[in-house]
Amino acid sequence: MKQWSLFLCLRYLSRKRIVLLSIAAVMLCCALLITVASLFTGFICAVENSVGDYLGDVVLSLPPSYKIENYQDLQQRLEQIPAIEAATAVLGGNGLLLTGPGQVRAAQILGIDLKSRLRVSPLKDALIRQKTYAEDKISFALPDEVSSDVIGGFVGIGLIANPDEMTDSYNMQAVQAFIGQKAALTTGSLTEQNKSQPDAADITSPRFVRKVLRFTIADVVQTGVYDFDQNFVYVPIESLSALLYPDKKTCADTMQIRLKFGSDEETATAMIYGLLRDYADNGADWAKVALVESSRKMQGRMIAEYYKQLNMLMLIFGIVSFGVVLLVFCIFYLIVMTKQKDIAVVKSCGASSLSVAGLYLLFGVVNGALGAAFGAGLGWLITYNIEWVEKGLAAVTGIKIWKASTYMFSRMPNQVNWEWALWICVAALAAATIGALIPAVAAARIRPVKILRYE
Amino acid sequence: MIGLKLSWRYFWKRRISILAVAAVALCVFIVVVVMSVMNGLVQEFKEKNHRFVGDCVIYSPSLTGFPYANDFIEQLEAQPFVAEMSETVEGTGLMTSPGSSWNVGVDYMGIDPVRHSRVTSFASTLRYHKDNPKDAFEPPYLQQIDGCVMGIDLILSRRSDTGQYDEPETPWPLRITLSSFPLNPKGGLARAGVDVVSTKTFAYSDHAHSGLVKPDGRLIYLPLEQARVLSGMDAPVVRSSAIHIRFADGLSVEAETEKVRTLWQAYVKSLASQPYAELLSAVNVQTWQQNRREFIGPMEKEQLMLMLLFLMLGIVTIFIIFVVFYMIIGHKTRDLGVLKSIGMPTPSVAAVFLGFAAIVGLIGSIIGMATGCLFLWRINAMENWLYDHYGWRIWDRSIYAIDQIPNTIEWPLLAVVAGCAVAACLFGAIVPSIQAAIKSPVRVLQVSQL
Repeated sequence: MKQWSLFLCLRYLSRKRIVLLSIAAVMLCCALLITVASLFTGFICAVENSVGDYLGDVVLSLPPSYKIENYQDLQQRLEQIPAIEAATAVLGGNGLLLTGPGQVRAAQILGIDLKSRLRVSPLKDALIRQKTYAEDKISFALPDEVSSDVIGGFVGIGLIANPDEMTDSYNMQAVQAFIGQKAALTTGSLTEQNKSQPDAADITSPRFVRKVLRFTIADVVQTGVYDFDQNFVYVPIESLSALLYPDKKTCADTMQIRLKFGSDEETATAMIYGLLRDYADNGADWAKVALVESSRKMQGRMIAEYYKQLNMLMLIFGIVSFGVVLLVFCIFYLIVMTKQKDIAVVKSCGASSLSVAGLYLLFGVVNGALGAAFGAGLGWLITYNIEWVEKGLAAVTGIKIWKASTYMFSRMPNQVNWEWALWICVAALAAATIGALIPAVAAARIRPVKILRYE
Repeated sequence: MIGLKLSWRYFWKRRISILAVAAVALCVFIVVVVMSVMNGLVQEFKEKNHRFVGDCVIYSPSLTGFPYANDFIEQLEAQPFVAEMSETVEGTGLMTSPGSSWNVGVDYMGIDPVRHSRVTSFASTLRYHKDNPKDAFEPPYLQQIDGCVMGIDLILSRRSDTGQYDEPETPWPLRITLSSFPLNPKGGLARAGVDVVSTKTFAYSDHAHSGLVKPDGRLIYLPLEQARVLSGMDAPVVRSSAIHIRFADGLSVEAETEKVRTLWQAYVKSLASQPYAELLSAVNVQTWQQNRREFIGPMEKEQLMLMLLFLMLGIVTIFIIFVVFYMIIGHKTRDLGVLKSIGMPTPSVAAVFLGFAAIVGLIGSIIGMATGCLFLWRINAMENWLYDHYGWRIWDRSIYAIDQIPNTIEWPLLAVVAGCAVAACLFGAIVPSIQAAIKSPVRVLQVSQL
C-alpha cells in the first residue's frame, strides 16, 4: 500500500499544477519569516557583541570620585585568574573635541593603555591607518614623528566626518586627511581648591577644573558601531591621567576584561569580586565600591526588550501566515473533489479509509516539506545577500533603508538564524499537514458505491 | 441583475467561500491594527517634532552661525503670512556641577522664552513655567545668576515602569557650569590667547519634556544673550543659528516656506557686500519636515518596510482567493453551460464571478475592519490588564517614550485597506473568472461531462 501511496503522491505533485501554488505560498511565508527572524536576531547579537567586543566581556567600574592608582598591579592579578584572557585599564570622561575651524563635537574620552587594549578588543581591525600593522607596531605616534613630547590620539570616524546621505559611507580621502592634524580636547577634573583663589565661592569644597588636552590625530577608528564611531576619542592613559590628576600616579577608573573562550561570566565575576575583597582588606578604598558586571548583563534589559519586539513581529507575521493553512486546505479539497473517482477506484481495490487519508496527509507533508525547504533556501539567499538586496532597493526607490545612524551598525547582519529557521520550517510542515487534514478525512469518507455507480 | 443575484447565491450557498472571507478578514484585521498603531506612533513623533521646531526654520548647520538675522526678522514681521518668529543660538558644551566630579557633553540652545513659546511648544514642555515662560530662566532659589531649562532626562532619573517621572514640586537648588568653544565668524577660536573655552554658571530653573530623545536627553535651554557669549556669536558681529517661524493659521507650510525662501534669497543678495556675508551661503530655509528629516525619515522607512512585508503576505491571500474560485468554478461547470446556452454573454459570466469576488472582499474587509477597530478600541485596556496580571507590556515605558499605544482609527487608512482587499480578491478571481467565461456550453453540457 505504501508504494501506491507514494506513487499517487508523486503523481499529484507532478500533474497538479495547482499544488505548486501551495508550495509557493509555504515557501514565501517561510522565506519571509526566516529573513525577518535572522535579520532581527542578527541585529540583537550585534548589539550584544559590540559592547562585549569593544568594552570587554566583564567591566570593573568605579564611582566618579574613585580612581585606581596601581592599576598595573590589578591588571596583572586579574590576568592570573584562570578564566581571564586579558585586562586593560581605562580612564574615561566626557569632553569637547575641536578638530578644525568650527568643528566642535561632544566626545567621550577614553584614556587607554594601547598594548593591553589590543589584547582585549579588536581595536586594531578598526584602525584606518594601522590596520595592517603588526600588533606590536601599533602606537599613538605618527610614522614621521620624532618628538616624543607630541601626544597622539585616535578619533572615531563619526567625530570628524559625516557619512554620505545616499550611500551611508564616508569619504575616506577626506577622513585620511585628518591624520596628522592637531586637535584639542576640553575636559575637566575635580580638584581641591587653592585657598589663595579669591574668587572661589566656597573654598572648602573641591571644584571642577577645566583642562585642555592638545593632541595629534594619529589614526581614525571605524568600528562599524555607530555610537562608538560617533563618540569615542582614544588618548594615552598616561597623558590623560597626568592632565586630569597631576598630583596622582597614572590612574584608571575602569578595567575592561576579556574572558577566555568558554569561560563562565558569573564564575569570573565572582573571582574578580574575591580579588577585590583582597584589595579592600589591604586598605584600597576603591575596591570596596567597585562594581563588576558582565557587558551582557549591563544591556540585559534592552536586549530583553528587543527580543520582545522580535517575538511580537513574528507573532504578527505568524498569524498572517496562518493563511497558508487555509490555502493548503482549499487546494487539497479541490484535489479531493476532482479525484473522487480515483479514490473510489483505489478503495474498491481494497485500500482502507485510513490508507486514503494517509495518502493525502503524506501529500500535505510532502507539500509542506518542499515549501519549507525552498523557503529556507530562499530565506538563506535573501539574508546572505541582504546588502545587495538593500542596495538594489535603494537604487530603485532612491531610499537608503539601512543606515548606521538608525540601526547602530554600518554592516547589516547577514547570517541565517538556523534555530529560528528550524522552528519556522517545522511550523510550516505542521501548517501544511493541518491544512491537509480535513480534505484527507473527506477523501477517506468517500464511498466507492456512490461515486462509481452509473447514473 | 441576474448576475448580481447569482453572485450572491454562490456566495451564500458555497460554504467554502467562508474560508476566503476568513482569509481576507484575517489580513485586514492585522493590517488595520498594525498600521493604525504604526501610523499613530509616526504621527505622534511627527507632531512632537513639528511642535519642537515650528512651521519653518531658517537654519545654519555651521557652529559659526549667520549674521544679520534681526533685519530679516523685521522684514518678516511685515509679512501677513508670518504669525511669530524666534531667533536661536545653538552650540555644544561640556556640563558639570560645581562640587561634583561628573561632566557630560550637551547641546545648548539660546532662546527668548516668550518668543520661542509663541512659535514652538516650548512653554507646554516646561514643568514649572507652563503659563509664564517669561520667568523660565529665573530660578526661585537663586536670583543672582541666570537660570537654565534642562532636558528632563538630564536632570531626572529614569522613568518608572509606568513611564512617569518622579518630578519634584519645585526645582532642586542646583548650579551647573557650562563650557564651550567660542568660535569667530571664520570658525577659528574666538578670544584666542585669553582662554580657548568660555565657561558660565547657571541655576537649574525648570526642565523641558518634549517627548523627543535628543532634546530631552542632551539639550539645555539658555537665555539668548548668554548662549551668544558662550558660543562666541556675540562678536565681532552678532550672529544666530536659526530663526524659527510659525505661519498664520490655515496656511500651507510648503507654500509659505517657499515665500520665505524667496525673501531670504533676495535678502542674502542685498547683503553681498557686507562683511561676513559669506556665512549666509550656508543657511537653509526649510520646512519643519525637512529640518527634522534625519529623525522622521527612519520612522517613515520602518513604516514603508512594514507595508512591503504585508504586501508580500497579501500575495498569499490572493493565492487563497484564486484557489477558492478555481474550486467553485470547477463545481459550477454545468451552471455555466446552462447560463451560456440560454444566451448569457461571456463578459456577463465573468462578471458573475468577479461580483462574487467583490462580495467576498467586501464582507471580509467589513469583518476584518470591525474586529480591528474593536481590538484597537480596547488595546490599551488589554495591555494594562496583561501588565497588572502578568507584568507584561508591549513596550517597556521606562525605555520607550510612549505613554499609551496609539489607537486612533483613521478612516482613510480603513478605506485604503478595504479597497486593497477588494482589489486583491478581484485580482485573485480574474483567471478563474475568465476560464469560466470562455467555457463552451457544447462541451460542458455533453452527456459524457455530466
